[in-house]
Amino acid sequence: MMEFEYFKPKNLFKAIDLAENFKINKKFLAGGTDLLVRMKDNLIKEENIIDLKDIDELKGIWEKDDEIEIGPLTTFSEIIESEILNKFSPLLVLASKKVGSPQIRNKGTIGGNICNASPAGDSIPPLFCEEAKLILISKNGKRIVDIENFFIGPGKTIINDNEILYRIVIKKWRDNDIGFFNKLGQRNALSISIASNCVKIRKENGKVLDIKIALGSVSPTVVRAKRIEEEIKNLKNFDEDKLFIISSLVSKEIDPITDVRGTREYRIEVSKYLLFESLVNLLNR
Amino acid sequence: MKKILINFKLNGENIVDEVEVNKTLLEYLRENLRLTGPKEGCSKGECGACTVLINGETFNSCLVLMPEIQNKEVVTIEGISRENPLILEYLIKEGSFQCGFCAPGIVVSLYSFFKKFKKPTILELKEAISGNLCRCTGYKKIVDAAKKYIDERF
Repeated sequence: MMEFEYFKPKNLFKAIDLAENFKINKKFLAGGTDLLVRMKDNLIKEENIIDLKDIDELKGIWEKDDEIEIGPLTTFSEIIESEILNKFSPLLVLASKKVGSPQIRNKGTIGGNICNASPAGDSIPPLFCEEAKLILISKNGKRIVDIENFFIGPGKTIINDNEILYRIVIKKWRDNDIGFFNKLGQRNALSISIASNCVKIRKENGKVLDIKIALGSVSPTVVRAKRIEEEIKNLKNFDEDKLFIISSLVSKEIDPITDVRGTREYRIEVSKYLLFESLVNLLNR
Repeated sequence: MKKILINFKLNGENIVDEVEVNKTLLEYLRENLRLTGPKEGCSKGECGACTVLINGETFNSCLVLMPEIQNKEVVTIEGISRENPLILEYLIKEGSFQCGFCAPGIVVSLYSFFKKFKKPTILELKEAISGNLCRCTGYKKIVDAAKKYIDERF
C-alpha cells in the first residue's frame, strides 16, 4: 500500500478548503472500492487522501418538486433500498443492482462511480437516459453541468482541481415512462461490463413520444445513441426485423477498444444484439 | 507511515489502538491482532474471503482503511462463531466446504442475510452470497445447506 497523508473533514467547508489547498496533489476517497485497489498497486501519484465519508451533506436522496437530488456519497445499497428512487427513477435502481456484489454495493458510491469516469461504470448509462445534471461546488460557488458534458475520456472529467461533486439531479419519472438496463458481463456478480445499454422510453397510445439510449463500455465515455433514438421515434410499428436493422446502426455510434474482456469486433457485434433485446423488451411488451 | 488513534468495537470489545493510516482492516485483523478468520484472497474486493460485518452490513475488509472504521462496530467470523449460529451446523452436515478458504466469508454473508430476511427466496439467497467466490464446490452444497436451514427453520 502506498504512503499518504489522510484527512477526514467533518463538513463541506473544510473539504472545499482542503481541495483548494492541495489542488492536483489530492484524491477524494468516497467508497474506495476502486481507489483502494489502485492505491495498493501504487497507481496513485497524489500524496493526500481526503476521506469524504463524514460529510453528511453529501449523503442522501431528496425529493424536490419534479426532481430528485442525490448526494454523491450515497451507496448503491442505499439507492437500491430507496423508496423515492424505486418510485421515481427505477432505471437507476435496476442498474445499481448490477454493480459489483452486496459487499461492493454497501461501500461503493454513485459519486465515486461518476468521478472515476470509467466507460464501464454501471450507474452512468441510466444517468445519461435521465439527462442528469451534476452540481459541482468549490470556494467560488456552485456550477451545473449536464452529465453528457462531464466526461472527456476514460478516467477523465471536466471537474476542476478545487471542485467537489455536490449533487446529482434527475427528473422524476412520469406514469408512462418505461426503461431497461442490459449488461453483458462475464458472469452475473462482480463483473465489469463488456458492453451495456440503458433505454428509457415515454410511450403514449402505442406511440413513442420520447426515447433515450445510452451505451456503456463501448466508447471512451458512456455515449447516447441519438441517431437510433430518432429512427425509433419515426417508426409506425415495432416490427422485429425493422428493430434489428435499426439496432445494427449502433456500430456507427460507438468506438470500442479491445481489452481482456472482449475485442473491438466482439463489442460492436454484441452491442447490436444487446440493444435489439432492450428495444424488443420495451416496445413489444 | 503516520499513525492515527483508532477507537472501535471488535466482536463486542472496545479497541483503542494507534494504527498506520495506510493499513487495511484485513491487515490489521490478521497481522496486528492475529485474527486469521478473515482470509486474504484477491485483495481487490472480488472474492469475498475477507468479508466482515461493519455496523451489521457486509464489507470486504481488504477495501476498508483503518481510519474508516473509527467509532464503528466490526464483527468477524470469530465473533459470529462464538454465537454458534445454527447455519454452521447445516453447512457442516451438508459438507458444504472442501478447502474452506471461502468459508469464513460465506458464513458472514449468510449470517447477515438471515438476520435481515425472515423467509428468503432461493434467488435472494444466491444474491446474498454472490460476492463470495468458492472454487471447490460450485456453491451447490452451500445453497443446499442454506435451503434446508430455511425450510426447517421458517
